[in-house]
Amino acid sequence: MSKRNRVAAVVGVGHSDWVGDWNRVRAGQRPDDCYGYAASAFRNALADANMTRSQIDGLIVGPTTAYERMAEVLHMNVRWGDQADAVLSVAQACMAIETGMADVVALVYGNDQRSVGTQYGGPQAMGGDMFLSYVYHAPWGMTSQGALYALMFQRFAALYGISERDLGHVAVAQREGSYLNPNAIQRKRITIDDYMAAPYITEPLRLFDYCLINDGGVALIIAEVEMAKKLSPKPVYIEALGRFDLNTGATSLEPRLTDFYRPAQQAVAEQIFGQSGLDPSDIDVLQVYDSFSVHIPLALEGYGYCKVGESGKFMREEGIGIAGKLPTNTSGGHLSESYMQGWNHQIECVRQARGECGDRQIENCRRVHYTSDVAGKAVSIIYGV
Amino acid sequence: MTMEPQTSITPPRVMGLYDGPLWQLLKETDRLHLQCCSACSTWRYPPGPVCQECLSPECEWKPVSGGGELLSWIIFHKQYLPAYPAPYTVIAVRLDEGPTIISNLIGDPREENPIGRRVKLTVVAMEDGVALPRFELAD
Repeated sequence: MSKRNRVAAVVGVGHSDWVGDWNRVRAGQRPDDCYGYAASAFRNALADANMTRSQIDGLIVGPTTAYERMAEVLHMNVRWGDQADAVLSVAQACMAIETGMADVVALVYGNDQRSVGTQYGGPQAMGGDMFLSYVYHAPWGMTSQGALYALMFQRFAALYGISERDLGHVAVAQREGSYLNPNAIQRKRITIDDYMAAPYITEPLRLFDYCLINDGGVALIIAEVEMAKKLSPKPVYIEALGRFDLNTGATSLEPRLTDFYRPAQQAVAEQIFGQSGLDPSDIDVLQVYDSFSVHIPLALEGYGYCKVGESGKFMREEGIGIAGKLPTNTSGGHLSESYMQGWNHQIECVRQARGECGDRQIENCRRVHYTSDVAGKAVSIIYGV
Repeated sequence: MTMEPQTSITPPRVMGLYDGPLWQLLKETDRLHLQCCSACSTWRYPPGPVCQECLSPECEWKPVSGGGELLSWIIFHKQYLPAYPAPYTVIAVRLDEGPTIISNLIGDPREENPIGRRVKLTVVAMEDGVALPRFELAD
């Protein structure tokens, strides 16, 4: 395998006013549509990079906006364009750069899911056209993303002895981060007792296991590595990329119920740690796609941050909060900062690696591992300086 | 085989090109039938165009035994669908024939941890007449 590390680097990041827009939407206003949120984040990313649009020759937009309209709104003609989710946008930017299809790629995401009432459960559940499991089991009342993860966690907990109280460490730890993060929507600290006292939504998962639903945008600018060094005083390198998908038995949830996504994560761990020459002990901060808290113990075990079956003990005894052994989702993640479908994690990776995170900054942070495992598709990036 | 119409009571069933016989046979025979590969005898669920093991399109709709092992369970405490006021239980079952099926448990799973226990399929008629396969503990 060719070494894919340090082909490209992030030179700019930006986000929309998540907190202000949360308050405006809650007050009944519609501050922007998905294109407006994306444009706002893009303006901030350009300012952060100290660049203009004319320096960009590639554009990748998130799955919630149409590529052509997004490009039209941003007034960008480019020689490489695409549409992808957060982690695959970064991967595709690197592939476009490596193959010479583009030199500087803007990644732009906007979502008005709160103000337009996007449904993640029920007969109109988002994503049902892509994932049959999201809609196939509706006749039995099986609907909503949280229920899929509840079913997965119940068996995982029974087999490995992790308790609901152990799982509560995820929500509590992420609030430690969001408490110190002025960009976060939910900043009130909670205790394990607060977590346990909150109502079940789909038992065994409780309120604080579920992510927020809010409007907003995120943007990144990724450049070919030599250009990045000229463009930015502190480029954040893509050190490694990896992906492995579990698809067999997916509609009946077999990758969740029998494998807990682990074979996919283990295959990706081999790719990313192999490419970068790193191992889990070299990672300073972990960022995990957290539509639900359950993703975190699965990632801890799947990527070898602890032994299989020991994620409960790891979270309880070693810690995943700001002061823990492995600070995880330091911004508060989807549970507490902003539900930007993996995009806010990318800019938190960059900001931690740059050392720009203020009160929630992890000291001497050099390498950040981002992973998502939505529906058994495991993808990882290692960012480094 | 004619396709049953969807109603507004039972939440919508996915009705692709291969799904019809499952629902029709369930209603007519009170037994769950699945596609079984004519070439290699692998069972498949949900219904589909070819065998996942050998890619043969040839298959026969055969009744399953109705036995299986309960893999996991959850209780919905929030209502999402008119037909399902909370609380209600959803389970995953591995059928003895191999496939995993998502369904409901008749009875309260909280009384004792049911993971790993034997279950038996039973066909229930919904208010609109749709026949639905559900399970009860068998041991």
